[in-house]
Amino acid sequence: MISALIYRRLCLWKNHMVPNLFFFILVPIFVFLLISLPLKNIIRFSLAGIPYDLWVFPGLIFIISSFTLYPVIYREFFELRINNKVLMNISLSPYSKNKIILSNLIVACLETSVMILMSAMLYMFLITASFNISSIIFFIFCFILHCFLIGNLYITFTLIIDNLLTIFYIFFILMIIVLFGSGFLIEFSFFPPGFESILKWSPISIPFQIYLKFSSTNIIDYLSIFSMILLTYLWIIVNGQILKIKLRQ
Amino acid sequence: MEASITLKKVGKLIGDKTILAGLSFGIERGSLVSVVGLNDSGKSILLKLLAGFENPNYGQVFIQGLDMSKRRNETRKLIGYVSFENDLDPWLTIRQNINFNASLFSIDKKKIKERMQEYCSSLNLLSYLDQYSYKVSGGIQKKAMLVRALIHDPEILVIDEPTGYMDAESIRLTWELLKELKGKKSIIYVSNSIGEIEQAHDRILVFHEGRIIMDGHLDKLLESTIEYHQFQIEFESLTDDLYKSLKKIPTIVSPNRLDNIFHFYGRKRTVFFDVIKVASQNIMIDLDVQKLGLRDLLDSEFAGRGLE
Repeated sequence: MISALIYRRLCLWKNHMVPNLFFFILVPIFVFLLISLPLKNIIRFSLAGIPYDLWVFPGLIFIISSFTLYPVIYREFFELRINNKVLMNISLSPYSKNKIILSNLIVACLETSVMILMSAMLYMFLITASFNISSIIFFIFCFILHCFLIGNLYITFTLIIDNLLTIFYIFFILMIIVLFGSGFLIEFSFFPPGFESILKWSPISIPFQIYLKFSSTNIIDYLSIFSMILLTYLWIIVNGQILKIKLRQ
Repeated sequence: MEASITLKKVGKLIGDKTILAGLSFGIERGSLVSVVGLNDSGKSILLKLLAGFENPNYGQVFIQGLDMSKRRNETRKLIGYVSFENDLDPWLTIRQNINFNASLFSIDKKKIKERMQEYCSSLNLLSYLDQYSYKVSGGIQKKAMLVRALIHDPEILVIDEPTGYMDAESIRLTWELLKELKGKKSIIYVSNSIGEIEQAHDRILVFHEGRIIMDGHLDKLLESTIEYHQFQIEFESLTDDLYKSLKKIPTIVSPNRLDNIFHFYGRKRTVFFDVIKVASQNIMIDLDVQKLGLRDLLDSEFAGRGLE
């Protein structure tokens, strides 16, 4: 199933190379120019005293991955379900609904990883930063965890909503949360204490917090990691059930 | 003959409405079965159930002896489904759409190439393979969907309107292919084209309000009406008096009129002479006599009164 989905993504890339490349290059540039640069002039240092442009680097990668995952998942579970019925055809292949969800998540994460690699190279050129190997490996792990969690969230919304306008509103709200309420650009300590504790419990922000904790203290938060893996697993099953209900199978 | 598909008391409800009501029948391996019925009679839902698109509310569907609800992944490999609506990915070419489906079923590249060549040349589709599916006509899309359904070499082919949106040449090619496949695969299809059904079937299932009201080969279905003929006589002027007196002829069945045309059925061709006796003083312009076909049978059955 995964190889079939990769084949299709490659075909879509080949068929729409120019708009896809534009998207891949423009998203990281716009995020950097319009969000990171002006914020750097407002927040010069993180609360731990790290220069903001260095501190924000991993957060920018998480933001771009959230932006990149959305169109892939929107196409698979909304566009191809509501308008073209392609998802119905895929559902007739000999795979369980959970496997369909998981395979789509894996393929979307792979595509996002390629995008992130390009973005990281671009940012390394703009920001002079150095990272050690263990930090990079742990970052990749947290990034994958983030992709699976937010991917599941997108799948839930694109499956339960059938109206185009509603899905755009939801996307808009999610993007605001991703940009400003997940700790990627603005540290949680800047928020009022009550609100801060709510935001810290958001599954979108937890993988990033796990990474920040490791990069600043070298401590791996196994409990949070295990909880997030379990949540991802359960969420895939829930999404599989939603897909089953939506397709009346 | 061995059963390819078996339905045991299968029922489907949508809301409060019964779409299929306790259906039980079997379809033999390698047979070509057509399903006819009025709109909203449950034909398409039946196909969706067979394809695994929808689940029955009660009853069981067996595909080559395997219970569809319990052995879902195995039975799906045995079925190729062509839906009524276009469900090709619009941003992929026809070739890519077919290849994608083949890779979903893990078919090796050599076989994909062979089958694509075979079926696409039969359907005159080779020159369209590298075009985007949204850019080609509905008929081409339908043919592409048929090739896509055949690419994993299913034992059973379930088709909703096999020749929908197609031109005459495409219809001919499609039926040539389907008739060639008959015997090797079980084919069950829904169509509203009576002419096509009369030409291509081993068995016809006539659906009405979620039930099968007739089942068999056309000759068998028309057995009871074998002597029936339908007549149509156009008069220069069909007056009310003349129509009333024609209606009174005891040997004619279901008489009706449209302007100056008098239409009726008769058990024997000789009924025509009874009409001539009554109408001999009037000028007749045209005459048409036909044996009864599937359409007449369906019209009478769906009207709920039969020919009697």
